[in-house]
Amino acid sequence: MSGHGEDPVEEESKRFFTFFNLSMALVAITGIEIVIIYVQAFESTTIIGVLFTTSIVKFFGVVYWFMHLKWDKVLNTVLFLLGLVIALGTYFAVVYMADDTPIIDSFKVTAVENIWKAKTNYEAGAYLKHEDAYYKAGAAHTSEEVFDADKWGRVEGIPHHISWKIEKADTIEINSKTPDNPFYHRHQPEESDNVEGSIIGILAKVSTKADFRIKARSEANWSEQVKEEE
Amino acid sequence: MSEAVAAHADEHHEPYTSTGIPTKKVLMWAFLGSDCMFFGTLISTHLIYRKISATVGTNYLDIRDIFDIELTSFSTFILLASSLFMALAVSAIHKGNLKSTRWMLLGTIIFGGIFLACQVYEFTHFAYAPGNELTLSSYRGAPHVFGSTFFVLTGTHGTHVAIGVFWLLGWLAYSFTGKMSTADAMDIECCGLYWHFVDIVWIIIFPVVYLMEYAL
Repeated sequence: MSGHGEDPVEEESKRFFTFFNLSMALVAITGIEIVIIYVQAFESTTIIGVLFTTSIVKFFGVVYWFMHLKWDKVLNTVLFLLGLVIALGTYFAVVYMADDTPIIDSFKVTAVENIWKAKTNYEAGAYLKHEDAYYKAGAAHTSEEVFDADKWGRVEGIPHHISWKIEKADTIEINSKTPDNPFYHRHQPEESDNVEGSIIGILAKVSTKADFRIKARSEANWSEQVKEEE
Repeated sequence: MSEAVAAHADEHHEPYTSTGIPTKKVLMWAFLGSDCMFFGTLISTHLIYRKISATVGTNYLDIRDIFDIELTSFSTFILLASSLFMALAVSAIHKGNLKSTRWMLLGTIIFGGIFLACQVYEFTHFAYAPGNELTLSSYRGAPHVFGSTFFVLTGTHGTHVAIGVFWLLGWLAYSFTGKMSTADAMDIECCGLYWHFVDIVWIIIFPVVYLMEYAL
C-alpha cells in the first residue's frame, strides 16, 4: 500500500466496507447474468451485450478496488493495462484474420425425373426412372426397344440432384432436416473461391431444398443463408 | 495502534524501485500483465475454434447437453467470495491483526478448494457423460476440437487456482510459526494480487465460455 498520510489502520478499516460492498455487487451482477440466461426472454445480441457490459464492470471493479489500483501509483495500472491491451489486440487480430463470411449463391435439390426411353444413349452412372422404380446405368450404352434390367442397377431410394454454388468456402456441409430421410454430405474443395459442385443423393422420399440445410464455412465463419432466398 | 505504526515502518524495509513502488509489487503487476496475454491467447483460441468445431458434421455438439450451469454458477459465486476473504486477509496483515489474517487466509483456501473440487467434478462429468463424452480430443468418441480448447483454457485457469491455493497454504502454515509479522504484508499483498487476478480471469471465462453458449 502506498500512500497516504492517514493512519494505515484507519485507512484499512475504511476499506473493509468498500471490499464488502464490492463483493455484494459482484455477487448481484453475476446473479443478473445467470437470470437473463435462464429466463430466455431476450434476443441473443441483447444477452451478449449485457454479459459483455457486466463482465467489464466486474473485471474493473476487482482490479480497481480488490487489487488496490485505486490507491496505488499509476505505473501498476499501466503495466497491467499494457498486458490487457496486447491480449485484446491478439483477440481482435485473430478474429480479423478469420473473418471471411461465405456467400451461398445457390443451392438446389431436385428428384431425378428422367424417364427411360428406347433408342437413347446413356452414360455410365446415369440415373433414371422406369415404372415407379429408379435405376443407375452400369455402363455407357444405347437402349433397345425394351428395358434391359441387366444394364441397370436398381436403386433403393429416390436419387436427387443436389447442387451448390458458393462464392467462398473451405468446407461445405449438407444435411437433411428430418431424421426419417437421412442424408449427410461434407465437401472440402481444393480451391476456396467460386466453389461449384453437385452430387447424387439417394433419399428415402421425394425432397426439395426446403428439406435440407446447407452450411458453408470460410475460415471461422459459417453461413446457412442462401442468397437467392434472401 | 503501535503495532500498526510498526507495520507501516516495516513496509519501508521492502526494496523500492526508483518509482517509489516496492520491487515485488512492480514485478507482480508485470507478471499479471504477461499472464493477461497468456489467457488472452487461450480465450481467443477457444472463441475461434468454438465456432469452427461446435457444429461440424453429424457429430453435432450442443455443449448445453453436457454443461452443468448450476454447478458452474455456484463455483463462480464461491470464487468471487474468496476474493473478499483475500482482500480482507491483506487488509488484516496491514493492520497487524494476525488472527484475522489467519482466518481470512483459511477462508480463501477453503473457497479456492471448493472451486477446484467443482472443476474436478465438472471435468470428470464431461469425460464420462453417458452418450456425450467430451474429452481433450474427441466428442462421443469421434475426433473433435472443442474439448481441446475448452479443457486447456479452463484447466490452465484451474492450475492457476491450485497454485494460488498452495501459495496461501504456505502462508497459513507460516502464520503458525510465530514468525509472521507486518513485515510480510507486501508478500501477502502480492499473493492477493495473484488471487484476484485468477478471479478476474474467471469473470471473463464464465460468461464467454459458459453463459454465451446459452445465448447463441
